[in-house]
Amino acid sequence: MKFQIPIGPQHPALKEPISIRLTVEGEVIKDADLRLGYNHRGVEKLAEEKSWIQNIYLCERICGICSHSHATCFVQGAEKLLEIEPPRRGVYLRYLVSELERIHSHLLWLGVAGHEAGFDTFFMYTWRDREVVMDLLEMISGNRVHYAINTLGGVRRDIDETLRGKILEGLAVLKARSEYYFKIGAAEPTFVARLAGVGPLTKQQAMDYCAVGPMARASGIDRDVRKNDPHDFYNEVEFDVATADSCDVLGRTIVRIKELFESYKICEQILQKLPDGPIAVKAPRRAKPGEVVSRYEAPRGENIHYIVANGSDKPERLKVRAPTLANYPATIEILKHGFIADVPLIFAAIDPCICCAERSVELVDARSGEERTLRFSDLRRMANDRARSLSLQRNVAWPL
Amino acid sequence: MAALKTILYLLVYPGFLFLFVYSTFVEWFDRKVYARLQNRMGPTHTGRAGLLQPIADIVKLMAKEDIVPDKADKKVFTALPVVGLAVVLTAGLLLPVWNIDLAAASPISFPGDLIVLLYLLSLPTLVLFLAGWSSTNAFSIIGGTRVLTMLFGYEVPLFLAVLSPAVLAGSWRMAEIAAFYRAHPLLILPNLIGFGIALIAVQAKLERTPFDIPHAETEIVGGTFTEYSGKKLAFFRLMADVELVVAAGLLATVFLGGFGGSVLPAFVQFVLKTLFVVFLLSVLRAVTGRIRVDQVVSLAWKWLAPLAVLQLLIVILIKGFAL
Amino acid sequence: MKIAAFLPELFRHLFKKPATLDYPFKKIAVPKDFRGTPFLHPELCIVCKACERDCPAEAIEITSVNEAEKRFRMTIHNDRCIHCAQCVDSCPTTPVKAMEMDTLHEIAAFDRHDLKKSWEYVRALPKRPVATPAPVKPAAETAVKSGA
Repeated sequence: MKFQIPIGPQHPALKEPISIRLTVEGEVIKDADLRLGYNHRGVEKLAEEKSWIQNIYLCERICGICSHSHATCFVQGAEKLLEIEPPRRGVYLRYLVSELERIHSHLLWLGVAGHEAGFDTFFMYTWRDREVVMDLLEMISGNRVHYAINTLGGVRRDIDETLRGKILEGLAVLKARSEYYFKIGAAEPTFVARLAGVGPLTKQQAMDYCAVGPMARASGIDRDVRKNDPHDFYNEVEFDVATADSCDVLGRTIVRIKELFESYKICEQILQKLPDGPIAVKAPRRAKPGEVVSRYEAPRGENIHYIVANGSDKPERLKVRAPTLANYPATIEILKHGFIADVPLIFAAIDPCICCAERSVELVDARSGEERTLRFSDLRRMANDRARSLSLQRNVAWPL
Repeated sequence: MAALKTILYLLVYPGFLFLFVYSTFVEWFDRKVYARLQNRMGPTHTGRAGLLQPIADIVKLMAKEDIVPDKADKKVFTALPVVGLAVVLTAGLLLPVWNIDLAAASPISFPGDLIVLLYLLSLPTLVLFLAGWSSTNAFSIIGGTRVLTMLFGYEVPLFLAVLSPAVLAGSWRMAEIAAFYRAHPLLILPNLIGFGIALIAVQAKLERTPFDIPHAETEIVGGTFTEYSGKKLAFFRLMADVELVVAAGLLATVFLGGFGGSVLPAFVQFVLKTLFVVFLLSVLRAVTGRIRVDQVVSLAWKWLAPLAVLQLLIVILIKGFAL
Repeated sequence: MKIAAFLPELFRHLFKKPATLDYPFKKIAVPKDFRGTPFLHPELCIVCKACERDCPAEAIEITSVNEAEKRFRMTIHNDRCIHCAQCVDSCPTTPVKAMEMDTLHEIAAFDRHDLKKSWEYVRALPKRPVATPAPVKPAAETAVKSGA
């Protein structure tokens, strides 16, 4: 017996609205379909109305978990357009926060994976340990989620010697805990049995569907913006790109745990080598006309911002490609051969950030299967047309 | 006089009132242990150390709006929570809580009450399946089929595991089995494998992690309970709590020597032994993640059932040579 | 692969203090540079409107009350504020900034208008122009604007 199960737009496995429609036979999934557009926020349009400095904070709010990624990606591009070079100390501090954010994001993901696999103890432990890095970020930047440490031409806050010691202490704690998870946590049989072999994505498929981030790296593709197209800073520190060859959710977990260790390594190097000097330079208010593509390795994968400047104090166009969007095609392909019980895990394994990836309203004609993308004005026109055609109900009195 | 006594049995001890109060306490205990194992606090504010939290939850659910889906079979849908609760409360009456003298170990004690208790403990599973099926919700139906699929896995190992102490004691009456093990405490040891199997099977019967597959919230929302709300959900919650007490009582009777002595020591033993079993179940809940339904069946048939047979073999050998 | 690999860790935690906090009853201190709610030192404000211009959430509103007396009113709409502290960074007054952040973070109200805070004040003259002459210029600019 075949029937359709809707996962979302509202579902306990999803923290944000998205709709996956699964056609199932018993416990086995035969077909999967994805619908976006439940949480469109118009960030790109709004960015055209804000000045460069205001846009940093807007970009930061594209995502809650990788807030710093979007802000840094935007600032990297904007600094090229404004033709300023941030001082060394500023750059080091910026990427210190980057790596701390990666740690927090991966610990969060581990917890979510534990929860999706019904292993709530693991979830509680990783999230408790994540508090350590959250507290560090709060001490550095003054806030736990939206760090707002970036500014055009550097960073906004400096760290002193006591804070440096605290960060090193926190990193030592986190390192010990991560080692524990790596050695013992991953050996819990009920947990590993749920992850191993789930959601297979071969290397060729990962290439074909343009998977990014840990998703691609778990399929054996060592693609990482920090190595392939790095900001100057990443050439000054030593780290490896974590990969796994198992091509399944277990591999994606292993990649993330390995990346935790790489991030600890980078953070320690930053704190050792931290140069003296100013943390920011003054930025002009207007940029010369031009365009730039900025790439940044967010915890979830490659993040791309395309920015056009037209000579005013506002960008003419900001295009955001969040990593989740790049991972959707591969996810749908994986879902088509799984069990219902594995859907939350497979979907969680891309670390989805749904409202980051929301773009436009897409309509599917149920009869022909034809898809159209509509602008808001068109939608409004359609709504008005429809309201006019329903002439009988137009003069209905308010019932109360 | 006899009628009054029967009513007291039914309503006060070990009937409705006792089971209600004690099962909410056990739920609190379970939640608290689970939370402490995870380095959390658990319930804290309702009552002293959150003791009244489960009762508060039930009161809250009772006050909520009760919705019956349009397409559901209304009579079955409404009757099931009550039937489920009634079944587990009846099962509670069979527990030999008054194990002072064998003649009147519990309100109703008779040769073969072990089988009846096991049967009564199987009924809630069927009730849950019917609840899922009669809701006519996609998630509920999947939950319902998962309930049944799991039943085929754990039921046989549970029966086999409980069989071996009964065989060793040479009785089908729980009071006599318990009395036998109190007389020969060392013979509890050969049944330890069976105790482990029974713990795992009871965990599966109670649908707790790693076997919370029928209502795995991240996969199928509420599973069998998706369409249930208000009073009906409260009844189901209470049913699960009472089932936990009864199952823990069963394991304590059959494997841990029951509850002997005079009235007060028997009561204290009942509390201590059931809490011990619940503690083990809570640890099992905290230490594992959810597994897939096919993994449950293969675990049950590849490991639990052969181990249960091995246990039975050990018991038969002991009975043949040592006794 | 070990069975129940987490068990020792679990039992260790059974006797440890919980990591969580009994929150609304016990509170945790925020770090010293915490970005809470912005507030104004009205005696220092030179009405350069840099904060109003840079605020990403457009939460700051400066209006002129009396042109002749140079009286102004600043309103901070805390319901819109995103607590980024850009207003503090943009504020040019030295050595003490007219805009500052406190550590207040439990801000909730039944009505968003209750979160509004406003100050009415006379424009301060830029103090110590020797340190940085920069603040003078925006102030003058503002005066022209408000006169127009």
